[in-house]
Amino acid sequence: MRQGTLVPLVASAIAGAAIITPVLVVMWRSFTTGKLGFTVGLNLTNYLRVFTDRDLVPMLSNSVIYAGGAALLGTGLGASLAWIVARTNTPGKGLVELMPLYPILMPPIMKNIAWILLLAPRSGILNGMLQQFLGIDTLVFNAFSMAGMIWVFGLACVPLGYLFLLPVFLSFDPSLEESAYIAGSKPVRTMFKITFPLALPAFTSALVLNFLRGLRSFETPVLQGTPGNIKVFVSRVYDSMALEFNTGLATAYSVVLVVMSIITLYFYIRATRFSERYATITGKGYRVKVIDIGPWKYLTFAAVLLYFLVGIVIPFIVLIVVSMIPYFDYDTFMRFPFNAVLTNYYTVLRHPSFMTGLYNSLILSVTIAIVTVLTGIVMAFTIYRTRAAGTKVFEFIGTLPLAFPPLVLSVGLLIIFIGTPLYNSLWALGLGLFVAYFPYAFRNASGAIVNIHKELDEAAWVHGARWRHVFFKITLPILKPSVGGALFYIFIEAIRNVDVAVLLTSPGKEYGPVTLFEYFRVGQWAEAAAGGVIYLIILIVAVSVAKFAFKMKFSL
Amino acid sequence: MACFLRQRPWMETMPILKVEHLSKIFKDVKALDDVSFEFDHGIISFLGPSGCGKTTLLRSIAGLEVPDAGSISIADKVQTSIEDGILVPPYSREIGFVFQNYALWPHMTVFKNVAFGLKLRKKSDDEIKRKVMAALDLVGLQGRDQRYPSQLSGGQQQRVALARSLALEPRLILLDEPLSNLDAKLREEMRVELKKLIKKVGISALYVTHDQDEAFTISDAVVVMDGGKILQYGTPDEIYNRPLHPFVAGFVGHSMLFDGRVVRSDSDGCLVNVPDFNGADLISPAAPAVVGDACKVVIRTTELKLSHERFAEGVDNVLEGMMTGREYRGGLTDHRVQIGAKELIVTSHKLCPMIRINGDDGKTFVSIDRSAITVIVTH
Repeated sequence: MRQGTLVPLVASAIAGAAIITPVLVVMWRSFTTGKLGFTVGLNLTNYLRVFTDRDLVPMLSNSVIYAGGAALLGTGLGASLAWIVARTNTPGKGLVELMPLYPILMPPIMKNIAWILLLAPRSGILNGMLQQFLGIDTLVFNAFSMAGMIWVFGLACVPLGYLFLLPVFLSFDPSLEESAYIAGSKPVRTMFKITFPLALPAFTSALVLNFLRGLRSFETPVLQGTPGNIKVFVSRVYDSMALEFNTGLATAYSVVLVVMSIITLYFYIRATRFSERYATITGKGYRVKVIDIGPWKYLTFAAVLLYFLVGIVIPFIVLIVVSMIPYFDYDTFMRFPFNAVLTNYYTVLRHPSFMTGLYNSLILSVTIAIVTVLTGIVMAFTIYRTRAAGTKVFEFIGTLPLAFPPLVLSVGLLIIFIGTPLYNSLWALGLGLFVAYFPYAFRNASGAIVNIHKELDEAAWVHGARWRHVFFKITLPILKPSVGGALFYIFIEAIRNVDVAVLLTSPGKEYGPVTLFEYFRVGQWAEAAAGGVIYLIILIVAVSVAKFAFKMKFSL
Repeated sequence: MACFLRQRPWMETMPILKVEHLSKIFKDVKALDDVSFEFDHGIISFLGPSGCGKTTLLRSIAGLEVPDAGSISIADKVQTSIEDGILVPPYSREIGFVFQNYALWPHMTVFKNVAFGLKLRKKSDDEIKRKVMAALDLVGLQGRDQRYPSQLSGGQQQRVALARSLALEPRLILLDEPLSNLDAKLREEMRVELKKLIKKVGISALYVTHDQDEAFTISDAVVVMDGGKILQYGTPDEIYNRPLHPFVAGFVGHSMLFDGRVVRSDSDGCLVNVPDFNGADLISPAAPAVVGDACKVVIRTTELKLSHERFAEGVDNVLEGMMTGREYRGGLTDHRVQIGAKELIVTSHKLCPMIRINGDDGKTFVSIDRSAITVIVTH
């Protein structure tokens, strides 16, 4: 058995090296000075600059306020919606049940574009409407403010809060509430004393995870924060890399960001461990009681409808409308549909940078999904199913990129590849996506492999199988359902990635979502919207194929 | 089916399994502590409480576990030898293994499960089909070959697991508590059936269980293990009637153990003094004991006589006590009799005359026939 572990071991080692190299490069580079391609000595200059940066304290507080505010808003909203759907007789709650599908269909960058179009201070649709219909001249809404950032990213946090809390409310052991009733507690009191406290661990997990996502998020800080001069670490890393080309500074800011991520990740792991202790709510097969909330149901109905319109429908409509008007400003927008044209689509589809970007993103995301998922399985197999010593180190390496915001990983890769033939190639981009998404594939595979009874493998061993037989005939076929899910998830994430790709694209080697990002930054908002709608169509096709051809489920 | 009944010429001449000085330590627990034994052929059971090391031993024989020291030979071929650096991988050991949870591959039909090992051995399709069918036939699962494991009952899954191993015609089959997941009634049926089947196929089997009835029913030899050590290796009768170790006596059968001291020992028998029974001297069968030896007195509680009247003269070992309670257990009844400092439980058969609890101020007499006693010298 020992000699049979060589192949998976070597494969895992190669993958592990690919993952850990950019990480180490970022660390090392943060201690050197010099512009891209040059290195000057080992020193602390960058850190001195970081820690004497006058913006450091505002940047820290901005990061925490932005990520924390968005996480609170989104998780709270998601949890409330989950409770309304699972436990109340609110009419029309089916509107929310599409929630798991929504983040799949709406790429983050599209959400930002739609909300900037709505909330921009001067040209924004909402401020225009206030002025036109109510005569309010002050600019009430401002997308380029902290509130605007929290609002947009907060809405992006809702699905995760909903998805974490819904199973808790659905699988709640009713006898826990019933015994409170028998003890003399009325329904409302029971809600607050029993139901909500038991849901608290899951809520905390979702909250911390959303906070982490906020720290790592790229689109909102760069598209909304930078124009409004609200700096957070991600946008600072991006600026020092993309504008100043100062790798030392970029990596030093990155290290600060990574430390913040690791601290958050630590709290997340603690929160999930804590929630596992609440064994009462993990049982299956309970039929939860829906509570009649009387006239309050009209209020909850209004809340559900409002979320459905504001959180889901309006951004879609705005995007589609803007993609079909000649150019974007408030008056042109309001004349729709009498000025509907398809020129934006025509422009975008004839634009070589968009077409290569579209092609590259399709090819790369399919390839990366397959490679990542297979490598993830091999690594998980190496750890849990072979007996080579020291394989536990792969567990650490495989999870490591989670602590590294995607932008930081691409900073590392850019430094590695600059000056080599691989610079300006799709290989760099592919490797970046691989490293960024590897933890999802790996953790998914680990969870699934751990759940496969070890005896199934051993039965194969004693009946004559070698590792390759065990892997291909036992492990892989049994993993099929979760492999499908992971493939789909990574494909969807990769095809709309901006933060890994943004530093690794180059003329001729564009990446679709990055091209949209650039359109938007140079003010071609209508073209950006048209490109976004094209991606939307691709995602709808992908979801339909997954749903009907592979029978994938998108609800709980 | 003929292929299963092939004559095995080496069967009578060499031990199918030889284990020498096997040791394995998990963290600080000794799972195997210098275990050595030989086994010729037939069915051997390893009996012991959970954690006694029996499963580790089985897994080491299969090559699924690497011991820290010692060697294992199957049919005179070394499979594991830590000292010589030999470790034949499990897939080359040519043995069968039936797992506690059956370990049927859920994504394969019954046919594919059984055919798996044959395919790896590159047999022709015809031969695979013939052997799979023969194996399924043997375990009584004809016509179920296209089902998936989840569509079968626990007993049927058990048979598939067995067929999967038998189809490869191994020389030795290892069974790890194969019946423990079945309900009580099915377990008793399968016990007998399993024995018949193994005898019919004519291979040797090593059976691990914590259920003594199962071990006694199924096997030609029983090994009792505890704390990673072999305590006794013998026929079921020897293990039951002549336990050599206090643990074996306590674990096997319905026995009670008392501390004693040898007063007299000769070819007629052995006289032991039991302080707990008001210092009574009990006569027991001859044992290799010297006067003055400390010993454990094992009394099999199902072989005692009970009466509320004095026994006639010449009856072995009559003790006087008080009946303190009685528990009816269906076919059997446990009588609790207080003798001196200890309570003796006398299990009587349904057909035994009932004893009045309150006769003569609750006075009760117990007669312990010398054959119901085993004396084990402790040092």
